Amino acid sequence: MNLSKVFTQTAITTPERKQEADADFAVVKQVQAGDVAAFDKLIVKYRERVFGVIYNLSANREDASDLSQETFIKAFQAINRFQGNCSFFTWLYKIAINTTLSHLRKNRMRSFFSLEKLNDEGGNAQVIDQLTDKRGADRDAYLRELQEKLNEALQKLSIPHRTVITLFEIDGLSHAEIAEVMDCSEGTVRSRLHYAKQFLQGELGKYLRS
Amino acid sequence: MPHHSKVSVEDLLRLKRAERPGPEFWTNFEGELRQRQLTALVQKRRWWHELSTLMQRRIYLPAGAAAILAFTLVAVRYSVPNRIAQDSIPAAVTARVDSAVEELAPTEIPVSIAAQVLGSSEATGVAPHATHVTPAASDSFADAAITATIPADVSPSQRSMNTSLTRLSQSEPAFLEPLLDERLNAPVRAQPASIAQAEVASMTASTSSKYRLIARYVDRSLSPAPTPPAVVRERLARRLGDDINDDISRIGVVGSRVSLKF
Repeated sequence: MNLSKVFTQTAITTPERKQEADADFAVVKQVQAGDVAAFDKLIVKYRERVFGVIYNLSANREDASDLSQETFIKAFQAINRFQGNCSFFTWLYKIAINTTLSHLRKNRMRSFFSLEKLNDEGGNAQVIDQLTDKRGADRDAYLRELQEKLNEALQKLSIPHRTVITLFEIDGLSHAEIAEVMDCSEGTVRSRLHYAKQFLQGELGKYLRS
Repeated sequence: MPHHSKVSVEDLLRLKRAERPGPEFWTNFEGELRQRQLTALVQKRRWWHELSTLMQRRIYLPAGAAAILAFTLVAVRYSVPNRIAQDSIPAAVTARVDSAVEELAPTEIPVSIAAQVLGSSEATGVAPHATHVTPAASDSFADAAITATIPADVSPSQRSMNTSLTRLSQSEPAFLEPLLDERLNAPVRAQPASIAQAEVASMTASTSSKYRLIARYVDRSLSPAPTPPAVVRERLARRLGDDINDDISRIGVVGSRVSLKF
C-alpha cells in the first residue's frame, strides 16, 4: 500500500507528522505480520501522551492508568483491522477517548480527583512566577490550590468541550486532527473550543492577569 | 511580588502539561500492561465482542434484513404447525370418540346399533341366530363372516360394535331380543338426529371447534341417547369437550411429523 497516498486523505498537516505516521504504519505492519514484540515500540512511544489525554479528561491518575492500559490492549486486539486509512496516532487517540468517555459516562456520579504533582520547572516556573511571589511551602500550597481549581473548572465542562480543549491546549493537536479523532467537523471543534475558553475564563478569573 | 504580566487561560492550561507521573509509575505501568496483554492473548473473545465489532463495521442494513428474515421464518414455522394441528384435530378426535363410544356401548348405544344390526342382517339375509357357532373354535371365523355383512363405509368402531352385537344376538337370543324389542318400541325416548343437530347448531361460535367435533359425533347416528337426552348429551358434550382439549394438548407437530404424548 502506498503510504503517502493513504495519508493524504487524513488530518496529517505537517511533514513531521507525516513521517511519524509512516514510521508508525511500518511498525503496525510488523505487528500484523506476527511480530508481537514490535507493538512495545508503539506503547513506549505513545504511553505518556495517551496517559496525558486520559488523565486530563478524568482527573484521576489511577483511572487514567487503568484506561491507558485498556486502550493499548484494545489497540493490540484490533491491530489487524487497522488499514492505515488514518494515522496510527489518530486511531490510538480515538480508542483512548472512546474508552475514557465510556468510563466517564458509566461513572458519572462517582468522580473524585487524584492528581499528579504539578512540576514547577521549565516554562511552568515562569507562569507560576507571574501568578505569585510566594516561595517554599506557601508556593506549593498555592500551586496545589491552582491545580485543584483548574481541574474543577475543567470537570464542570461537558465531556465534548473538555475533550476539545484538552486535545487542543494540552496535547497540542490541530483542529483537523481533533475533528478526525472526535468524528465531527472542524467548525464544531472551533465552536466548542471558543465556548470552553470563555467558560474557563469565567471560572478562573481570579488567577488571570490581563 | 508577582510579575503582573498577562496570564491567560491557555497559560493556565499549559500548566497541566506538567502534571506527569514519575519514572517508577511507568515501570509499574509496563508490568501491568504486559500481564494484561498476555491475558488478552490467551483469553478467547466472546461472540458478543465479535458482534460489537460487526456493528462497528456498519453492517446495520444486512443485520436488520437478516433479523427480519429470521423473524419471518419463525413466524411461518409457528403458524403452519398450528394450522396443521387444527386440520388434524378431527382425525384425532374421531379416534377418541370411537373409543368413548366403545366404552359407552353396553349402556347407552344398543338401540341404534341394534336397529342397524337388525337392518343390516335383514338386508343381507343373514338371520341373527340362524347358525350356532362354537365361540372358542371359530370366533375369528364368525367375526370375519359378520364383518363381511357390514357395509364398507361403516367406521371401524361401529363395525366392531355391530360385530359384538351380532355375536351376542347369536349366542344369547333370549336375552337380547326382549331388550331390543323394548328399546325399539319406545320411540319417545329416542331423539331424532335432526333435533340433535339443531342443538349443536345452536351452540355459540366461540366454542365452534369443540362443538363441531361433537356435531361430528352426533352425526354418526350414535343417538338416540337415553332419557333425558338433552341432559345426557350436555354432559357427554362437556366431557368430550374436556377430553378433546386434553387430547389436543397431547398432539405435537414438528415439521412433517405428528407426535402424540401418552
